Amino acid sequence: MGGQSGFGPVPVTEDSGAFHADWEARVFALNAVLRKRGLYNVDEFRDAIERIPPGEYLAASYFERWLMGIEILLADKGIA
Amino acid sequence: MTGTAGHEELPVAARVRRLEERVIAAGLATDDELDEVLAGLFADASPVNGARIVARAWTDPAFRERLLADGNAAAAELGFAVSGYRLRVVANTTQSHNLLVCTLCSCYPVSLLGPSPSWYKSFAYRARAVREPRAVLSEFGVRLPEGVEISVWDASAETRYLVLPNRPAGTEGLAEDELARHVTRNGLIGTATV
Amino acid sequence: MRFTPGAKVRARVLDPDHHIRLPRYVRGQVGEVIEAEGEGPLPDDRARGLMPPRVETVYAVRFRAAELWGTGTHSVTVDLWESYLEEVP
Repeated sequence: MGGQSGFGPVPVTEDSGAFHADWEARVFALNAVLRKRGLYNVDEFRDAIERIPPGEYLAASYFERWLMGIEILLADKGIA
Repeated sequence: MTGTAGHEELPVAARVRRLEERVIAAGLATDDELDEVLAGLFADASPVNGARIVARAWTDPAFRERLLADGNAAAAELGFAVSGYRLRVVANTTQSHNLLVCTLCSCYPVSLLGPSPSWYKSFAYRARAVREPRAVLSEFGVRLPEGVEISVWDASAETRYLVLPNRPAGTEGLAEDELARHVTRNGLIGTATV
Repeated sequence: MRFTPGAKVRARVLDPDHHIRLPRYVRGQVGEVIEAEGEGPLPDDRARGLMPPRVETVYAVRFRAAELWGTGTHSVTVDLWESYLEEVP
């Protein structure tokens, strides 16, 4: 991401607090609990997010990427 | 902060609920655990904490030295137990300005700055802060004199950075708590001068 | 600790198919070690569940914008694990 062109101006006024919607908070909590339980570590989580296909990655919002990352890890670990 | 989705059901919200149900059914989390995370979330995390550290550094030169040498130990002196990362404080001068970013994800010292703003996590900020910091700063309304050198810090490992802004002119008579009110969250990231 | 402050180092050109905390824009670039930050587990190993992960010194390495982008007077400091770096003869 560092140095890539074409993203336009920084959305400097976008500062809505931690979450835009309740589902974002639920995703945050799921990640926190799954990591605390030791299902995966932060680097596995970052790795999973980086495995999202680039088109989807760029189209997704911040917490949509988190959601996809958790889904990828659950699939990896065979959790239905 | 939460509950802003209202009664309109978004497809993504339904997807999250399904995921939550799967996780709970697999015994990997309970409703209580999930609620607990959200209840405790950001309870003590606020830019007021970072501002207090800065105000102390402005009024106490010995503290400033300790802060720049070992951020965690100095923060602990003020009662902030910064754990899980190494805190490195970088000081602006009249000739230099510091700007923080995480190009790989969105690493950020949440306990001292509160939840990170959306712009910090945006592709535009992550992409451009390292390449054209002056242009990025101008979008925040910050125009530094030509001779000021900009140091960008890309938090790519387990150090979290905090900017120590210059003390504004005309604040000589102010007490520490009054000074702390001058410090903004953006000033602690480097997208404001104070 | 292999590098001392002031040492010139080159960020290796590594492009594995797993997570690595070596930003693309510094790969192959020469920078200067600012400080050693202590040791940390290698994210590449942790991302793949390799136990125990290798533990390495992490360095703050400063790069000049003009070298990274061909333009600019600023510097960019990046935190890099030791195996991401090689000596510049």
